[in-house]
Amino acid sequence: MYFAQLAVNGLVQGLVISLAAMSITLVFGIVRFPNAATGDVMTVGAFSGLIVYPLTGSLLLSGVFAVAVAAAVALASHLLVFRRLAGRSVVALLVASIGVGFVLRSIMGLAFGHQPMVFSMPLSRPYRLGGLAINPLDLQLALLALVMLVLAFAILHLTPIGRQMRAVADNPALARVSGIRSGRVMAALWVLAGAIVGAGGVMLGVKTVVGPEMGWDMLMPAFAAAIFGGIGSPAGALLAGFILGVAQEMSTPFVGFTYKIALSFAIMLIVLLKRPSGLLGRIEGVR
Amino acid sequence: MNRTRREFLAGTAGAMALPLLSGSVFAQSEGTLRIGALNPVTGAGGPYGEGMQKMILAAAEAVNAAGGAAGQKIEIFAEDTQTDPQAAVLAAKKLIEVNEVRALLGTWSSGISLAVVPLTNDAGIMLMNTSGAPALSVPPANEKGLSYRFQATNDRFGRAFAEIAEKEGFKRPATMAFNNASGIGNTEGFKKAWEAKGGEIVSSVVYEPKQTSYRSELMQILAAQPDVIVMGSYVGDTTIILREWYQTGQPAKWIIPGWAANSDLVAALGPDVVEGIISVDSVSNEEAEAYAEYDKAYQAAMGKPGSDNVYAAMTWDMMTVLALAVEAAGTTDMAKVNEKMHEVANPDGTKVSSFAEGKNALKTGSINYEGASSVPDFDEHGDVTPDFAASFVEDGKINRRYIVKI
Repeated sequence: MYFAQLAVNGLVQGLVISLAAMSITLVFGIVRFPNAATGDVMTVGAFSGLIVYPLTGSLLLSGVFAVAVAAAVALASHLLVFRRLAGRSVVALLVASIGVGFVLRSIMGLAFGHQPMVFSMPLSRPYRLGGLAINPLDLQLALLALVMLVLAFAILHLTPIGRQMRAVADNPALARVSGIRSGRVMAALWVLAGAIVGAGGVMLGVKTVVGPEMGWDMLMPAFAAAIFGGIGSPAGALLAGFILGVAQEMSTPFVGFTYKIALSFAIMLIVLLKRPSGLLGRIEGVR
Repeated sequence: MNRTRREFLAGTAGAMALPLLSGSVFAQSEGTLRIGALNPVTGAGGPYGEGMQKMILAAAEAVNAAGGAAGQKIEIFAEDTQTDPQAAVLAAKKLIEVNEVRALLGTWSSGISLAVVPLTNDAGIMLMNTSGAPALSVPPANEKGLSYRFQATNDRFGRAFAEIAEKEGFKRPATMAFNNASGIGNTEGFKKAWEAKGGEIVSSVVYEPKQTSYRSELMQILAAQPDVIVMGSYVGDTTIILREWYQTGQPAKWIIPGWAANSDLVAALGPDVVEGIISVDSVSNEEAEAYAEYDKAYQAAMGKPGSDNVYAAMTWDMMTVLALAVEAAGTTDMAKVNEKMHEVANPDGTKVSSFAEGKNALKTGSINYEGASSVPDFDEHGDVTPDFAASFVEDGKINRRYIVKI
């Protein structure tokens, strides 16, 4: 039962990692660079939610607002920075994204200060399900994330723009030859990537404390999950986030709390040694 | 290409000269003793930094008004650490290399003091800090005996926790520590003192910073059924831990250091969660004459009572003790001044509470400065032992109940 409880604890943590990893993997799959500003867009989402929550008292409305703002910020970063650097090397884009993240963090630091802030929600006792303690707030958050995920996968797999995105991800040259307009696809992609990570930001903010550095600190596990899941595969990122979160918590009785992070990375290493393409990724052909 | 490089160099030189113009608070003149004020004006230490800096200035003014130390006026160069070790190191470099200060006063937070101390050691000048990490007491940080600490060590905090836990009648304490020198220092200090009293610790956890949840850590601690949980933590992680603890519904009391259990924590969690928490902080030497003088200066500079900022009282004492040591040494040669630090601050000698008083008394014999922050009696590591206050959170207010001496 102790282990089951640890797994539940890990699932909720994994969900936050999953959302950030999905955003990274989407951008990587299509624009082909690791977006280091992902964490800071997440922070933007958290602060946006924090502004709306006291006014409305509704987690859903805060989530929607955060998703909208984060999507707008991600789109703006594309229009103002990344689009102009299209075709440059991966390193140039990576460095630019670190810069974008730095600017976002500094703006938030100036606007909101560095003191930790919280969503002041009424605290509730957990539901007991056969000895398992499940927090109602976690359930709400998981629901919010689930809605976001279903929407994201629906857009990717059921809409024309999603199909175009996947076409560009599969083979940009072929997509262009087939008459897919990359401008629209890119804009849609950034909106989607921002929206996903915005939802993650609200979740992280509600669960922890909101500060300008919070998203940047999430970047390592998120990158790990994106690679672990198979870069470019949203479903893989989702799965990998869960596995990392659960493995971390389940390992604590054996390795203690100090080394649980190291252990989750060790698991990632082993999987990548056996499957270099990640959980659900495919080995890329030489282009 | 040549032109741009020249422009770049000119720009850099200009930028480097800028702080030279703005950093000096007093007019530059020959025959002054240059001191660096290196405080957390922005960042996490922001609530304290400005007051700390202003009290260094105020104490230096008092020294200058009394005719200066060893015939030299004091000149303060102020920089901001931004509560960030990297920024602090850059600022310290600038103060040491460009301004040629003879001591750095008032670094806050252990990470910063530990980052800056190699620089002051290399330069052969003093560093006076307000940090808690035990590592600052011993080599390599304090290999030259040039580092002085005006705050209680984390170890002493731990001893105060043990005193309070005993007084409150707790039997089954557990500990949770943030994984850094300060957090572990607190709980290790508690463990040593508690076990010396014949007590036993039922469970302990060292947790990683920046986690989204500490529920598994709490599960392990709460499984041991502790009656009190002693923390070595900061306000951010404490917020998450207390929230998740409250949601479990299991009763427990908490002993938390004052920098984590402060009004921010109460505001973040609401009065229900934090009710009954014991917040432990070092207290200023509030009955002393020096404190009254400090309080007056703090009111004048900041418009708030001096009790608002224990660290500002420490920086006030730093400047005063340093000036007294210079006066006693009769020179600004820092090696000689350093030898006098213990002499002017420790017992045996006329008790004095200000620079002017001490300067007079030094003409006739040895002195013992009794400060605003503590009676700064340095031990062999340059550490002081302030008193501690146990405050209880009641209805969302942090009320001081009693003073603990260790």
